[in-house]
Amino acid sequence: MAGIDVSELVTNMLNAAKDVLGRKWPEAKDYAETAFAQIGEAISFIETQRALGKMPDEKARLHLEIQKNTSKTVMLTLEGLGIVAVEAAINAALKVIKDTVNTALGFVLI
Amino acid sequence: MIGQGSRLKRYIFASGTLTLILILTLAGCASIRLISEYDRETDVAVTAFQKKMERFLISLERNIGKEKAEYKNNAGFYDGIKVDLSAIRVRVAAIPKNEITIQQIDLLIENVNNLERIHKLGMTHEDIPPLRTAFNESCTAILKLELAKKRRRH
Repeated sequence: MAGIDVSELVTNMLNAAKDVLGRKWPEAKDYAETAFAQIGEAISFIETQRALGKMPDEKARLHLEIQKNTSKTVMLTLEGLGIVAVEAAINAALKVIKDTVNTALGFVLI
Repeated sequence: MIGQGSRLKRYIFASGTLTLILILTLAGCASIRLISEYDRETDVAVTAFQKKMERFLISLERNIGKEKAEYKNNAGFYDGIKVDLSAIRVRVAAIPKNEITIQQIDLLIENVNNLERIHKLGMTHEDIPPLRTAFNESCTAILKLELAKKRRRH
């Protein structure tokens, strides 16, 4: 049985994610590379252990599930960091117009 | 007499101004919050979870092949850590706009359940490094977001 080419697997995962993420790809790239490299390592580990007869089917599924959940956790952080950045941008914009608006309206609106 | 075009312009200007005022009012005046505030309790509890898990994995690593590492002698660890995670889950769920952290804690709970199933099937030396990496990565990701909430400007 031919071995799995993990590097090719990771490249394919990255390409698929790149297509889905579109313009968000540059900010997600580093996180995705780390997350998919770890899924690739998990698959490589499972393959090695199975070849040695040390990895029953259920255990293999559980190892992969753990790695998938870890990758989701990492990507959720990326999503959160994006929200923090958007929030900071809106607040910076509000701060810039604060004095002008308050002065013009004659009361503290912002 | 005011022409129709002029009336339309005034209407657009007025409605635009009203919209702006409404947005600013809804924005909570000074600043807006799209994601929860930093929570020190979450930070401390997730750090404590990571230490507890690492201590457990080190002990397992040292004792694999011995009776001490068998699942039946470690069931208490799983009971304890599930209680810890449940407390963290309740805490993060009580904080407004904290959905991302809630999802992350749910994934951590799932992974502890998966770890327990692996342990029941029989843990080997080789199982431990990827498990350690996964739990460390998860905790790092959760803490990274929590610390980003802390660092933001008010």
